[in-house]
Amino acid sequence: MSNPITKVALRNIAAHKVRLLLTVLSVVLGTAFVTGSFVFTDTLQRTFDSIFADVAKGVDVRVGTEQSGASGVPVQDIDVIAALPGVKTVVPAYSGGVIVLDSEGAAIQTGGAPAEGSAYLPPDRTLGDPETFVAGGPPVAAGQIALNASAATRGDLAVGDTTKVLTASHGILPVTVSGIYDIETDTGGYVGALFTEQQARDLFTDGRHVQYVDVASDGSVSPDELRDEVAAALPDLKVQTGAEVTEDVKSDVEQALSFLNYFLLAFGAIALLVGTFIIYNTFSMIVAQRLRELALLRAIGASRQQVGRSVTLEALVVGLVGSALGIAAGVALAYGLRAALNAADIGLPSGPLQLAPRTVIIALLIGVVVTVVSAYAPARRATKVPPVAAMREESTATVESLRLRTIVGAVAAVAGVVGVVIGAQGTGGGAAATVGVGALALILAVLLAAPALSKPIVGALGAVFARPFGAIGRLARTNAARNPRRTAATAFALTLGLMLVSVIAVFGASAKSSVNTLVDTGVKSEFMLTGPQMMGVPAGAEAAAAGVPGVTEAVGVYGVQAKVGDDDEFGAAMSGPVDNVLSLDMTAGTERIAGDEMLVSADTADKHGLQVGSTVPMTNRDGDTVETTVAGIYEDNQVVGLWVLSPEMLDRFVPAAARAPMVVLLNTADGSDPETIRTGLEDATKQFVVVQVLDREQFKGQQAAQIDTLLAVLYGLLALAVVIAILGIVNTLALSVVERRREIGMLRAVGMQRAQVRRTIYLESLLIAVFGAVIGLVLGLVFGWGFVRTLADQGLGEITVPWIQVLAMLIGSGVVGVLAALWPGARAAKTPPLEAIADV
Amino acid sequence: MERMSSHSAAAARAINLKKIYGTGETAVHALAGVTADFAAGEFTAIMGPSGSGKSTLMHCLAGLDSATSGSVLIGDTDLTSLSDKQMTQLRRDRIGFVFQAFNLVPTLTALENITLPLDIAGRKVDRDWLDTVVSRLGLGERLDHRPGELSGGQQQRVACARALAGRPDIIFGDEPTGNLDSRSSGEVLSILRASVDEFGQTVVIVTHDPTAASYADRVVFLADGSIVDELRDPTADAVLDRMKRFDTTTTVSAAEYAAE
Repeated sequence: MSNPITKVALRNIAAHKVRLLLTVLSVVLGTAFVTGSFVFTDTLQRTFDSIFADVAKGVDVRVGTEQSGASGVPVQDIDVIAALPGVKTVVPAYSGGVIVLDSEGAAIQTGGAPAEGSAYLPPDRTLGDPETFVAGGPPVAAGQIALNASAATRGDLAVGDTTKVLTASHGILPVTVSGIYDIETDTGGYVGALFTEQQARDLFTDGRHVQYVDVASDGSVSPDELRDEVAAALPDLKVQTGAEVTEDVKSDVEQALSFLNYFLLAFGAIALLVGTFIIYNTFSMIVAQRLRELALLRAIGASRQQVGRSVTLEALVVGLVGSALGIAAGVALAYGLRAALNAADIGLPSGPLQLAPRTVIIALLIGVVVTVVSAYAPARRATKVPPVAAMREESTATVESLRLRTIVGAVAAVAGVVGVVIGAQGTGGGAAATVGVGALALILAVLLAAPALSKPIVGALGAVFARPFGAIGRLARTNAARNPRRTAATAFALTLGLMLVSVIAVFGASAKSSVNTLVDTGVKSEFMLTGPQMMGVPAGAEAAAAGVPGVTEAVGVYGVQAKVGDDDEFGAAMSGPVDNVLSLDMTAGTERIAGDEMLVSADTADKHGLQVGSTVPMTNRDGDTVETTVAGIYEDNQVVGLWVLSPEMLDRFVPAAARAPMVVLLNTADGSDPETIRTGLEDATKQFVVVQVLDREQFKGQQAAQIDTLLAVLYGLLALAVVIAILGIVNTLALSVVERRREIGMLRAVGMQRAQVRRTIYLESLLIAVFGAVIGLVLGLVFGWGFVRTLADQGLGEITVPWIQVLAMLIGSGVVGVLAALWPGARAAKTPPLEAIADV
Repeated sequence: MERMSSHSAAAARAINLKKIYGTGETAVHALAGVTADFAAGEFTAIMGPSGSGKSTLMHCLAGLDSATSGSVLIGDTDLTSLSDKQMTQLRRDRIGFVFQAFNLVPTLTALENITLPLDIAGRKVDRDWLDTVVSRLGLGERLDHRPGELSGGQQQRVACARALAGRPDIIFGDEPTGNLDSRSSGEVLSILRASVDEFGQTVVIVTHDPTAASYADRVVFLADGSIVDELRDPTADAVLDRMKRFDTTTTVSAAEYAAE
C-alpha cells in the first residue's frame, strides 16, 4: 500500500463512514437478492432431487405408458414380460395420490412433495432398498397402512392409531396404522402410505391395468438389452431403463423449478438494476463533492489515469465488501423466504440451504462489476475537469444538455406506446411478447426522458403539495427540481418498484373481477363443493350432498382431457344437465345433451370447423375413440372450457379411477332456508374432510383469497425492491444535504428554524418520491392493461384498475418519501449557521 | 482603553465578551473580554489582522456563535439567555446579514431571495418598502434573474436588499466586499452607507480593507482578541496609518508573548 494514490483511495473510504455505509448497503441489497434467488432454488432443487433420486433404485427396466394420464399397463402384459428371457423379477406398481389425515382430522401437509399410496411388497419382491420398520410392521389386511416416519411425526400418528385416508376415486377410508417405516428418501414433506397389495390394487387401479411395471434382470442381460427386448415385445408401451427413469424425473423437477428460478432471478435483476442506479448516483455525487480534492491530486502531478484508478480502486473495495456481505444477506434472505412461505402454508419441502460455488462467484462478479462500472463513468468525467477550474470553482456542476437523451427517450416512448397498444389488440404469447417489448421500450424511454420530465412534473406536484408550506415549500420544490438527473435517478428506483407492483395489482384486480363476473353470470347454483386442487372433490361427496334435504340437484363438473384431431384439449363433462346449473350463452343448437352428444365453444367450433350436427371423433387417454355429435355451440366460457360432454360420455370416456369432479354444483329447492341447507351439506360432507361447502359469495371470496395469496408472495418480493428504492432516496438526500451545507447554514443564519429546515428536506423527498411513484404507476397501469388484454382468452375478460390500491400506493410513496428524509433532515437541521460563512 | 460610544442609544452591545477555544495550555483566546457598543443609526467597521478575533466578535454579536462568557445585547435582548429557537427568530426578525460569498439560494430568483427571510417568517412583505429598496439598489431589472445569471456585484446588491427588506435592527456584514472588484465594492459600500444615512439603518461590517472602512462612521480595531483602538469619521489613509501602527504593536506583543 505504498502507492500514494492507493493510500488516498483507501483513506477516502475510511474518512467518510456514512457515505461508505450507504454505498456498501446499495451493493449488499443488489447482490443479496441474486444470492437469495440462487440459494432458494438450489435448496428446493436439492430437496426434490433427493426425494426422487432413488425412484428407480434396483429397477433395470420400467414399463409404463406413453401418456401420463392413461389407465396404465394392461394386466395381461405382466405375464408377457415375466416370460421374457433374462427377467428375474416383475413388480407391478399400484400407486396413486392420497391424502392422509392427522390425529386431529386435518390433512398432513406435504409442502409440494408427493403424497402417495402404494402397495407394500415383502423384501424378496422389492427391487430397491426395502423399508425398515421402526415401529409396528407392514399392513397385513385391508384397512391397514404403514406410514413413513416423518409423515407420522407431522401427523402425530403412532402404531395402532386409527385415522382416515382420502383417495380421489374411492373417497374416504378409515385405516389403522400398522407400522412406521424409514426410508432413505424420507425428506421434505413426503407422505408415503403403504397398503396391502390387494387394497392398493383396488384403490389405485381399475382392475385391468397397473400404473407401471418394474423389471429386474437375472444378470444375463444388461438393462439396455432388456429394455430393447421388452420394447420389442410390447411396442405400444413406454419402456425405459432405471437410469433413464431417474433422468426423466430429475429433468422434470428441474423444469418445474426453472420457472421459479427465472422468476426469482428476474427479481434479482430488478433489485440489481435498482441497486445499480443507487450505486451510480452515489458515486456521481461523491465524485462531484470531491472534485476539488481530485483536482488537487491532479495539480500536484497525479495523472488522469492515476486519479481514475483511485476512484476505481475505491469502488472495487466497496464492491467486494458489499458483495461479500450481500452473499451472507442473500443466504439469510433465502432462509427468511422459506420460513415466510412455510408460515403462509404455501409449504415447500425443507432441506439444508444450498450455497453453491456458482452462486458466490456470480454474486461477487455482479456486485464488483456493477460497482466499478458505476463508479468509472463519473470518475472519468471528474478527471476531465481541468485542475485549476475544479479548485477555483465552488461547484463545477457540468450541466450537460439533456436534449439528446430526451429526444431518444421520446422516440422510445412512441415506439413503446405503439408496441403496447398493438400487442393489446391480440391475445396469446405473441401479443404478450409485443406488449413486453413495448413495455421495455417505455421503461427505456422513462429512463432517458425522466430528467426532462422531472421539471414540469415536480413543479406541478410542488404546486399541489408544497404550496401550503409557503417559502419552505418553494425551496423544497426548487431543490427537488434543481438537479434533474439526480432527481430522475433517485426516483427511478421507486418508479421500477411501483411499476411492477401496479402491474401485479392490475392483474390481481382483473383476475378477481373476472372470476366474480364468471360466477355471477355463468353459475346458476346456490352452493358448490370444492376439494384440494390436485385431487378435486373426493368420490362419494357428490352423492352425499345430493341426499341432503332441500338439495334438488347435484351436478359434478369433471375435467376431461382428450385428443380432438391432432390437439390435446381440455374440456368438461357434467354428471347432470348443464343448463340447470350453468348459464351458457348458446349461439346455436340446444344445451340439453345426452348420449354421444356434446356442446362446443364458439372458438372450438371455429377451430375445427364444426356446426350443430357435426360429428367429432374424440380419443381418450387410453386411446379409445368415441364419435360424438355436436348438439349446441356456446360463447366461450371459462367454467367448462372448450367443450362439454354428456353424463353418459363421462362414464364411457373417463376411467373410474381418474374420476373426481373439480367442483360439484348444487341447486336448492325454492324457498328453502340457505342456512339449514348449508348445515345439512356440512354435516353430509364432514367425513370427506377436504371438501368445502361454499355459497356463491364464499366461492368468489375463496377465489379472491387464492389470488391474494399468490400476489402476497409477489408483493413480498417487490417490497424488497421498494426498500432498496427507499435507501436510494436516503442516500441521495444525505449526500445532497452535505453538498448544500453552506446554503443550509445561510438559511439558518437568516432565520430558518431547525424544524423548517427539516420540513424543507421532507417536502423535497416527498416530491421526488411522488414523482417516481406517479411515473411508475402510470407505466404499471399501462403495462397491466396491455398484458391483461392479451390474456382475455385465459379468463381475464375484464380489466379492472384497483384505484383505491393505486391511491394507497401514491400516498404510501409520499409517506415513504418523508420517512426516507427523516435522517437526512435531522442531519440538515443540525447544520450550524456558521457554515454559511465557513471557508469552502 | 475601550471608550464607550454614547452619542446615541446602542443597537448592539458586547459586555466583557470572551471566546476561548480549547482548554489549559493549548487554550486560544479568540476574544479576551471585549466590551463595545454599536450605536443605532451608525455605520461601524471592525478591523484587525487575521486571527485578531474580529470575525468571532461579529459572529457572537449576530447570534451565529455563542461566547464562552460575557453577554451580547441586541437592543434590550440578552442573546446568552436565548434558546436556539429564540435565537433563530431573533436573527430572522431583527438582524440582517451580508456575507462575503453572497450566499444566495441558486434556485430562487433575485426577488425570491430578497423576500426569503420574510417568507420564512411568514411575514407580509411591505410592498412600498420593497420597491424603495429595490429601486434604490438598482435591481428593478434583475428581479426575475437567478443568482447564476447575475454578476458578483449584482449578487451582493441582492444580498443587501435581502438584509434591508425586513428592516432589521442591525445589519451585519462579514467582509461584504471580499469577493468583489473595486467598482462593485464601491457600489455595495455606498448602498450600506446610504441605508444608514437615508433609512437610519445600523450597520456593522468586518473588513480588512481600509477603503471599505473609510465608508464607516467609526472604525474599531481588534488585535489578539481585544479592542486596541478606534477611529471616528475615518479616511482610508487614516485607517491605513493606524493599522500600520498597530501591526507593529501586535508584532511586538507577539514577540513578547513568545519570549515568555
